[in-house]
Amino acid sequence: MMERTVTIVPEAGLHARPASKLVETANEFESELQIATDGAEPVDARSMLAVSSMAAEQGEDVRLIADGPDAEAALDALEEVLSTPEGEYDDE
Amino acid sequence: MSERRLEGIGVTPLSGVGTVIWYDQEVELPEPPASENVDADAEHDRFSNALGTAREELQAERDRTAEEVGEEEAEIFDAHLQFLNDPQITGAVEDAIDEGLPADHAIQEGFKGAIEQMEAAGGRMAERADDLRDIRDRLLRIATDAERLDLSALPEGTILLAEMLTPSDTAQLDPERVAGFATAKGGRTSHAAIFARSIGIPAVVGVGEQLLEIEADAEVAVDGEAGEVIVDPSEETRERAAEGRDVEIRTERVETADGEPVEVAANIGTAAELEGAVAQGADAVGLFRTEFLFLDRETPPDEAEQLDTYVEALDAFPEGRVVVRTLDVGGDKPIPYIDAEEEENPFLGTRGIRRSLGPDAELFRTQLRALLRAGAEGEGDLAVMFPMVATVEEVEQSLDVIEDVRAELDNEDVDHEVPELGVMIETPAAVFMGEQLAERLDFFSIGTNDLTQYVMAASRQNEAVSHLHNPRDPAVLRAIDQAVDAAHAGDAWIGMCGEMAGDPELTELLLGLGLDELSMSAVTIPDVKANIVDIDTEGAREFAEQALAASTKDQVTQMLTDNT
Repeated sequence: MMERTVTIVPEAGLHARPASKLVETANEFESELQIATDGAEPVDARSMLAVSSMAAEQGEDVRLIADGPDAEAALDALEEVLSTPEGEYDDE
Repeated sequence: MSERRLEGIGVTPLSGVGTVIWYDQEVELPEPPASENVDADAEHDRFSNALGTAREELQAERDRTAEEVGEEEAEIFDAHLQFLNDPQITGAVEDAIDEGLPADHAIQEGFKGAIEQMEAAGGRMAERADDLRDIRDRLLRIATDAERLDLSALPEGTILLAEMLTPSDTAQLDPERVAGFATAKGGRTSHAAIFARSIGIPAVVGVGEQLLEIEADAEVAVDGEAGEVIVDPSEETRERAAEGRDVEIRTERVETADGEPVEVAANIGTAAELEGAVAQGADAVGLFRTEFLFLDRETPPDEAEQLDTYVEALDAFPEGRVVVRTLDVGGDKPIPYIDAEEEENPFLGTRGIRRSLGPDAELFRTQLRALLRAGAEGEGDLAVMFPMVATVEEVEQSLDVIEDVRAELDNEDVDHEVPELGVMIETPAAVFMGEQLAERLDFFSIGTNDLTQYVMAASRQNEAVSHLHNPRDPAVLRAIDQAVDAAHAGDAWIGMCGEMAGDPELTELLLGLGLDELSMSAVTIPDVKANIVDIDTEGAREFAEQALAASTKDQVTQMLTDNT
């Protein structure tokens, strides 16, 4: 199991497009992926419902937890999403 | 059988008569069978097939909406698709099936927790609960094989009734086949209303619960002008509604009988309405409400997206003008990313330019950057106006922001052009300060809905004072007269973009008052243009003088009746 703490860069926090993008990215990996705000129980990073219910805002630190064969790559990808200002995703 | 009239909000000045077809989104479930009679494997398959079908449907609707309406509206479906794949929700449904529920009841059960979770979170999360209900109902419909009405293939002469219609529902309606629609919910600015105007379908929204009592196959007339749904219409009502309109569409600019040119423009809210405006013969866009770019989304449109939209509008009117109104929101139009507090009286609170110079300064700058760039890039002539202005200081501050943005674009070496600049005349203060405002600006546009509300101190929403909310009141006419004089004294042109401008009964009066431009819903343009060519300016001026001298609204109404 691997863990990493990342600060949320997108202005909208973990809502709307950044949340969508995170969930979409989490779905590309085999590993179990979880995300948690400070002190809270980790939730499934593949669940739009769970991720947007965290109500994590810009500037907040979140913990990313990965368990599985592609854990490191998954953490890199999720970190990339959380550190990219909105509107600068490659596919948009 | 005598006819029965239900009141709602008319959104297109068109009438139609036909046979009722109900568009139901809700699915009613039978009692669940005892759990030992449920074949869990079969129910898992049923659920997984429903998911697959729902995905295909959503993707198809997304693509169609993107093509026919716009990318922003299409994004609504992206959120739906994501919830459809949500393991927390699908997991809950699967658990419920394992516990012995059939797929349909399991779907209801599985979504329940998610919907409650969203509602409990409040704020912008709560809006997502509606998305979840939509998805749940879609899955239920598929799982129970409930028949779904194909809105694009309704029989000719259909009057479509529904609790409410989504943008994608409305986008499918074919004006050749649908004689009209009415919804229980929704207001003048709901998506359904805007689409109805742009595609020219008779429509009444916001009829309320009483609409739900109308039975399928009933004969119904929809009068979008009076805002009425008439059940079992009399022969006379039926004939009048079916008559339709017999007005020539004039695509060329028109002038009065004595040769005074008058610009007739369209009010639009989205780029999707441009085509309809051109088709109805609009010379220009007199009001492009930009709120719709900002509503129903989680984050504001960026500069590039706005630029595209404004350029699209300018390119649709290569020989004409496009008047864009900067963002006009307040406490009555909640937007997730705008922190507008609920106010005791939102119409007298922080709205329009007050927000743009205050809490929404960043949005304002972004919008102005996009507009100045569009002015250089688009074909037609851009004009930009500020809403809800009450003071000269507000205008000067706005002009300072424009100057700032201009200098910034200069520095960045980005192509730009400062457009014609104006204000909406909505507040009595702006009328009184008209000359000073006109000296600093190129034009005015009178928003008669708000001007009437503020001059008469009578809310647009309050039924109890609706008799006061009438632009024919001599007080409102005098305010208009004063605004026109102030504009011309300050060498500015003046138009009108409120509903009053599109009322064909008032065209002569408005020209007599000296308005240079009239801007309205596209569907009324042919009627107003037809009137203009018969009007003699001198006669119109005399008529306006008389109306201005009237003591009561009834006297004005009488004069208008006598004049026709």
